[in-house]
Amino acid sequence: MRFSWFLIFLVGTSSVKAAQPLHFENDILPILGRYGCSSSGCHGKAEGQGNFKLSILGSDPISDWTAIVQEGRGRRIHPAAPHESLLLKKASGAIAHGGGNRISSNNEDFAILLRWIMDGCGLGPKDAPSLVSLRVIPMELEMKPSQNQPLQVWAKFTDGKEKNVTSHSRYQSNADQVASVSEQGVVTGGDTPGDAAIMAGYLGEVAVFRVVLPRSGSTIQFQLPQFNSVDSAIDNKLRKLNISPSGLCDDLEFLRRVTIDITGQLPTEMEINQFESDLSINKRRKKVEMLLERAEFADLWALRWADLLRVDREPLGHERAFLYYQWIRQSLINNKPWDSFARELVSAEGPTQEISPVHFYQAVKKPGDQAAMISQVLLGVRITCAECHHHPFDRWKQADYFGMTAFFSNSPVRHPRTQEVIQPYALGTTMPDAIPSISDKRILLAEWMTKPDNPYFARNVANRTWAWLFGRGIVEPVDDVRATNPPSNPELLDVLARQFTSDNYNLKKLILFITSSRVYQASSKPNDSNTKDEQNFSRAYFKRPDAEVLLDMIIQASGVPEKFPGSPDARRAVQLWDSKARHDFLKLFGRPNRVTACECERTHEPSVAQVLNLMNSPRIQAKLSHEGGFVARLSRDQADNKVVIDSLYKRFVSRPPTDQERLRALDYFSEPDRPRQVAIEDLAWALLNSNEFIFNH
Amino acid sequence: MNKFCNGLTRRDALRLGTASIFGSAIGLSDLVRAGEDPLSRNDLSLIYVFLHGGQSHLDTFDMKPDAPAEFRGEFKPIKTKIPGLLMSEHLPKMAAQLNKYSIIRSFRHHNSDHGPADHYMLTGYFPAAGFNSNLSPNNQRPTAGSIVSKSLGSRGSVPAYVALPKMHPSGGPAYLGASHAPFVIEADPSSPNFSVPDLVPPPVIAANRMNDRRKLLENVDKYHKALEVQANSNAKTISTFRSRAFDLMTSQEAKKAFDIHSEPEKLRDEYGRHTLGQSCLMARRLTEAGVRCVTIDHSNWDTHDGNFEVLKKTLLPVYDTAISTLFRDLADRGRLDKTLVVVTGEFGRTPRINKNAGRDHWGSAFSVVVGGGGIKPGIVVGKTDARAEKPSSDPYGPEDLFATMMNSLGINPKGEFHMPDGRPVGIVNNGRIISELV
Repeated sequence: MRFSWFLIFLVGTSSVKAAQPLHFENDILPILGRYGCSSSGCHGKAEGQGNFKLSILGSDPISDWTAIVQEGRGRRIHPAAPHESLLLKKASGAIAHGGGNRISSNNEDFAILLRWIMDGCGLGPKDAPSLVSLRVIPMELEMKPSQNQPLQVWAKFTDGKEKNVTSHSRYQSNADQVASVSEQGVVTGGDTPGDAAIMAGYLGEVAVFRVVLPRSGSTIQFQLPQFNSVDSAIDNKLRKLNISPSGLCDDLEFLRRVTIDITGQLPTEMEINQFESDLSINKRRKKVEMLLERAEFADLWALRWADLLRVDREPLGHERAFLYYQWIRQSLINNKPWDSFARELVSAEGPTQEISPVHFYQAVKKPGDQAAMISQVLLGVRITCAECHHHPFDRWKQADYFGMTAFFSNSPVRHPRTQEVIQPYALGTTMPDAIPSISDKRILLAEWMTKPDNPYFARNVANRTWAWLFGRGIVEPVDDVRATNPPSNPELLDVLARQFTSDNYNLKKLILFITSSRVYQASSKPNDSNTKDEQNFSRAYFKRPDAEVLLDMIIQASGVPEKFPGSPDARRAVQLWDSKARHDFLKLFGRPNRVTACECERTHEPSVAQVLNLMNSPRIQAKLSHEGGFVARLSRDQADNKVVIDSLYKRFVSRPPTDQERLRALDYFSEPDRPRQVAIEDLAWALLNSNEFIFNH
Repeated sequence: MNKFCNGLTRRDALRLGTASIFGSAIGLSDLVRAGEDPLSRNDLSLIYVFLHGGQSHLDTFDMKPDAPAEFRGEFKPIKTKIPGLLMSEHLPKMAAQLNKYSIIRSFRHHNSDHGPADHYMLTGYFPAAGFNSNLSPNNQRPTAGSIVSKSLGSRGSVPAYVALPKMHPSGGPAYLGASHAPFVIEADPSSPNFSVPDLVPPPVIAANRMNDRRKLLENVDKYHKALEVQANSNAKTISTFRSRAFDLMTSQEAKKAFDIHSEPEKLRDEYGRHTLGQSCLMARRLTEAGVRCVTIDHSNWDTHDGNFEVLKKTLLPVYDTAISTLFRDLADRGRLDKTLVVVTGEFGRTPRINKNAGRDHWGSAFSVVVGGGGIKPGIVVGKTDARAEKPSSDPYGPEDLFATMMNSLGINPKGEFHMPDGRPVGIVNNGRIISELV
């Protein structure tokens, strides 16, 4: 039956000659994309809808053509009576359609579909130009609330011609509260100041329109010192947004913040006193330099990289997981340039009984997974989508995914659809006809990645480092770099990447550079203009320390160590290289299992159970009342209540109490029927449960 | 009792109406307002029992005694409360309670992979590209408990959504945020010294000392009610959670609800002294006290090997005592109408028995048990073909189940939530209410 229809088409095609032959990929697929037919919510999803499956956003024209023309027992099109084609009747809602009326029958696009069917449903000329790129006009604009701005989208083809595809593009805003976009491509300013990226997509290509929506109200002037180019990049952005930054934090706020950020520890009372009495002008910088030399720095930052690089005893076994971990930690102790770190990892080989990154290839076994993980961790680019289809919000095609995979594969890699052999090539480059003969293809990838002009590597490491110090990335999520998820401050990211590259990828220098900025040293106190800002670093944000760090802070403040079953050597939680070691507190506070390369696996989401744990856990109470602990010793050895109170404040929140706080505490101590030790324990408990303790601010 | 949909009895209305005639302070507008107050409008709850791994439908609620031996398996069917309806010989108590619940036999979806199928059954949405089942929570969409928590809010001082004895990785709130995450009881209610971890201070801290500590904390916390907390969403959430935690700790009703040891020994025995039995009992206590949704994550139904041995020796006896007693107990206490119970795995199991006497994953047909919450009891919805491979009539899927669940709980299945960026999303993904059940 289907066969005979085909004959009819062929006859039909020759008799009905249209002036301009329609091209399936260039003329029909954009219509199916425009009306959402091939979106991931409808026929574009993996299993299709109602037995009719299209490739997502038209990424696979041949299979889409087959689905429309040949599958469904040929009912989808009816060449003898084109108007009777299911494709048209469903789309126009003439018969029941789960998706409703998408394309009305008096619409121009309906007419195009109809003409295509009448012309015989061909694929169109083979040599037709194909889509190269997309641009949107304007590219960037400062907008006001409720202001409307229509966009124009132009598609460029291989013949050099451009076509206005505004009416057939799909649009999406990454921040609707800042600026939203209609299906017709009209952008409307919202009510929250900030920036938004509006994506325009047409077939497999995307382009971005960026909106800045300044805070309304009178223009703010501010003049704050700029310590380095981080500050000018931030100030430029804040001026655009009409937001004024908060001033500098005081010395003890800085000391606590930077000590937790760099070492995962609280400053000791001695450090507090020393820092307060140090009158030198560059004492903050000196402090950072000292902190970076401490072993605790390597412990904390090794933990972070071990999360991402999947140090996991389940696939590796204890011994090899530990060797793998040691490679990471020693790299930090030796301040190995991070390009060397990346090169060693990407091209690792050799025996598996040594301290080495070669264990990565046992923790993650499949070449495709290795490629995807290396891309995500070292480049900040997620390519996993492109294993099965064109990335819906980015430029990555299946060929790009398999091009990366080919670096890691011992056998030739083929495109799953076209079966073409794919040579190894890096993201954003073009596939070579052949690669130089070399014993290990991964070396080519490592070289490409660590060239100073690589667009991803330095930016990604700088962005991750920034996020660990500020609680959020300039690109956020940190491992999802794409045109449609742009950095909140591109100038800042450039500044950091340039600095990092010119310092030979020296991680400690990068941290020193960032922490030397005024922005890092900002107060957490909001002003009238920046209360709502949670992405432009106009003040210091509250950060919930990682699970391990929070536990270590409790251990340190209470002076009572924790036992870690199976890890007798670990004195602090950040030293636990095995994330599978059982620990209820760490689990409750969001330690990752290390089953993915995603930073998102570690969570800082609060829960009622966490709050209950801090208040009621017998283990925490035992730390407060332990006779060898800090609190009990203080109440035994120190008779002066004022000294006790000052000591507790410094111990837990790294500052002396204000006069008023001291008086209040003394009141609590002096209430009748309350034993002194109880009062002291209660004060320690209250400090431990305060926002001031459980956040780094 | 003849109740209006707003929970007021006819007599309440008359009494209030009369009062207004006599010039009392209560007028008609008050009556209307009382009807609008969500707290007085309903006291509905959901208990969602998830049979993690996937329950075999052929060996439980959809037996095929006439199918070839390599399909039908070794279990014999028995008669149930409903004439003509058969179920497995290993579910005798369930058979006797079939007048309290219904079975959807023509349930199906297109996926037979644990992670995505779990997400599908627990949220009503099949996960989109980029789904990573290894994350916990892995939700792209809010789970049933979070939907209910968001839509109905909490009732009393107990949490709106409780997960026990652990949280399923797809049991999270997704874009609804931490406020609608489950309160997870990481403890087995069947253990002799069961208690909710950290719900009460350690024994050394007397109750009045906790009150002192609470006041002290408010005094000591520099950021209590400070601008900083308003400007940092994480600190704001912690502050809200802290006051919720205090409510929970000090509330007598919460304390009572969590105290499973106060149940009569006989009833505890009837539920079964195992994790599932005592979790079901706990769920009944909690929903009675005002919890809106309890999810029970019960493992391990993934019977690839020795399906019949495992079902016969452990899983089915445990299921039979726990679920049948739950329905009976809810009915005895007059709570069945107010409590929707859903019992299902992520999929069924392959009709053809494999070489290890096991059954593998099968999303194409399985049985879901639903009862209470106004669902018509004693009904079998749809049927499957001769080998229970596919529905042969009335196919229903997760979207339809969610539409039916939400409808039964007084939540509009066509309603929308808003993502943090303002984008509207359907609470339910276009499901249709299973008309046979309502």
